Amino acid sequence: MRDRRRSIDMRLRRVHRLAAVLAVSGLMFGTAACDAGSGSAGSGDPNTLEVWTRSNPDSAATYDRVFAAFTKKTGIKIDYQPVINFDQQLQSRASTKDLPDVMINDTALMGSYQSQGLLKPIDPASITGGDQITDKSWSSTVGIDRKHYGVPYSRQAQTLMIRTDWLKKLGLKAPTTWQEMLSVAKAFATKDPDGDGKADTYGMVVPGSAQNGYAAWWGASFLWQGGAKIIESAGQGKYAAAMDSAAAVDTVTWMKDNLFCGRKGVVQPGALTAVTSTATNFQDGNAGMYMTGPYNMTTFDGTLGKDTYEVVPAPAGPAGGDVLADGENVYLGAKTGKDKQELALAAFLVSPEGQKIAMTSVDGHQPVVRIPVNSTLDAAKVTKDARWSVVQKAYEDASEQFPNAPDFAPIKQDTADALNSIFTYCGGDVRSQLKALNDTLAGDLKDQDLLK
Amino acid sequence: MTATVPAPAARRSPGKRAFSKKAVVPWLFLAPGLLLALVFKFWPMVKGIRLSFFDVRPFLGDQWIGLDNYTRVLTDHRFQDAIGHTLILGIGQAVGAILLGFALALLLEGQARSLRILRTAVFLPAVTATAVVGELWRLMYYPTSDGLLNSGLHLLGLGPVPFLDNPDIALYSTMAMGIWIWAPYNMVIFLAGLAGVDRSLYEAAAMDGVSLWQRLRYVTLPAIRPALMIVLTLATIRGLRVFTEVYVLTGGGPAGSTDVWMTRAYTLGFTRNDIGGASAASVVLLCVTLLLTVMVNHLRKRGGAR
Repeated sequence: MRDRRRSIDMRLRRVHRLAAVLAVSGLMFGTAACDAGSGSAGSGDPNTLEVWTRSNPDSAATYDRVFAAFTKKTGIKIDYQPVINFDQQLQSRASTKDLPDVMINDTALMGSYQSQGLLKPIDPASITGGDQITDKSWSSTVGIDRKHYGVPYSRQAQTLMIRTDWLKKLGLKAPTTWQEMLSVAKAFATKDPDGDGKADTYGMVVPGSAQNGYAAWWGASFLWQGGAKIIESAGQGKYAAAMDSAAAVDTVTWMKDNLFCGRKGVVQPGALTAVTSTATNFQDGNAGMYMTGPYNMTTFDGTLGKDTYEVVPAPAGPAGGDVLADGENVYLGAKTGKDKQELALAAFLVSPEGQKIAMTSVDGHQPVVRIPVNSTLDAAKVTKDARWSVVQKAYEDASEQFPNAPDFAPIKQDTADALNSIFTYCGGDVRSQLKALNDTLAGDLKDQDLLK
Repeated sequence: MTATVPAPAARRSPGKRAFSKKAVVPWLFLAPGLLLALVFKFWPMVKGIRLSFFDVRPFLGDQWIGLDNYTRVLTDHRFQDAIGHTLILGIGQAVGAILLGFALALLLEGQARSLRILRTAVFLPAVTATAVVGELWRLMYYPTSDGLLNSGLHLLGLGPVPFLDNPDIALYSTMAMGIWIWAPYNMVIFLAGLAGVDRSLYEAAAMDGVSLWQRLRYVTLPAIRPALMIVLTLATIRGLRVFTEVYVLTGGGPAGSTDVWMTRAYTLGFTRNDIGGASAASVVLLCVTLLLTVMVNHLRKRGGAR
């Protein structure tokens, strides 16, 4: 009897011990998991900068080369973190009041970051070589309070990529106006440019979904070319919604009637639910034109081949040929106390040396600077690719950016929702739909205390 | 962590020793799981509920705004549309997947080896990542006669149908994919239920000369009632929190015609940076889901008692 009790006791003790081990390991796993998110090696070291970029592993490889060159030159170490879901991660770091020292991300996000107090103001004069950056680039980093909140790092503008072999086969020329573009698109859709005897080709590719604001991103160039604006500055840091203007109504009506509700095949099927990752018809070889950013050239060179398409300026609308420009800025996280090192890094990133390293592709990795912000550099010369001069010219001479001093994210999303809806319902009245959009945009500006 | 506390106390009172040890041991085994759930599930949930009452500004500090987020979300016409879409999609998907799952279970019930292979094949959609399924269905729905479904319609002299780009049918196209994904999952639960049906009842029914429908109605359905309730509860929860299917297939478009509660909350939180509003939307969804689950359970218990 006693033996039996002892054996039960021993068994229980063993069970207790096992349970304790399990509990402790569970605890350790829990804490380890908690630590993983906030750990930043060397963030306390004044000679180490924590740098975040919104990059996938491919472009991160290029950043690695850039930062290695910086460390070699200055001795300042870089704790580099490429982050894919940048905004979510940044918000969670912001909630712990421990921001990265330096961030490289889209220009359009500046207003959003600045309104949240995430950024340190920057004096352009304090950046060595800041005078080599054009006024146009610097102007895109001005916040609502007229202070600069970023250093321009990379720029790009949309251009038209078009199938030269298709043009040749049909005896056409690359379009220079909206009307010409429309006739080329119709010819691509109906005259069997790929010669397979089937009606399976389309005029142009449109990522027209409202998801992530794509309809507004793609449609912006058309809006500028038609003389329309989404919002416009009313001076003294105030803005007004401008999507109910006659130019906006005309432009959106033209797009609706000719691209979406007109003849079939002008844009690819499924355009209204397509985002850039699903709008692959150009690289798949069944659509002839795509107005997009130059970063796609690497992909298209691989899938279509360099000789099958060319890069030309976007066809002009009634008010000109302006296209959407965007790019990336270097942002300095608020309250980190490493100003000297941060400014040294920013200066290196915009210097000819830093820009050149970031513009060249090694082992097939994506370059991270498209059009250099440093005016002493020529994109086509650095990349030894003449097509980049078309992009650089488009950026310098005929481009506009989203107004990024306000928080543009809700404005872009609301515009995309409305455009997508207008292009979907062909029977709708454009004027009243744009009026409704304008009221929504005014509401967005009011929420930010920016409405005139 | 707290579960370990009673252990020394139990040792001090020898009278209750055996009972206490018995009570404590399972808790100790549960402790790691509970701890993980606490850290990764319940704590974020509590935090989410808290955020729904604030204007969330991670760096500048959150500002208490009471029920403003809730008022904003509930009066937003796009959220109101999204409720309608969520209900249509949720109910349609649940009913469709239950009927199809039940039909599949009846067809594929049995011991034969070939059935096992067939069941595995049929079950595949349920274990494939929804994002992958979404991409596949985008290809199947391709709106020209090159698309799989449209090439079939083409043979019949019909189409092509813009399954995803026509706002009138996009929601139903999404529903069809949802049914395809979830029917096999329901099938497995039904198969488990069917395995427990007393075979002699079928034999007795056969001797009484009942029709196939009567056999289903009076023998099979009552016997698989518990399985049906489980499937119904899961389908309700799944239907309300539907997200991935819509996000990968249509992204809520065209013109918001497939926007559901979760895609709206996602857009609010991550595209518009309105974390407070997104939290409020999620809390509303949590409450509705809880309410419905409790209701289904209540009905089940009442049904069980009868």
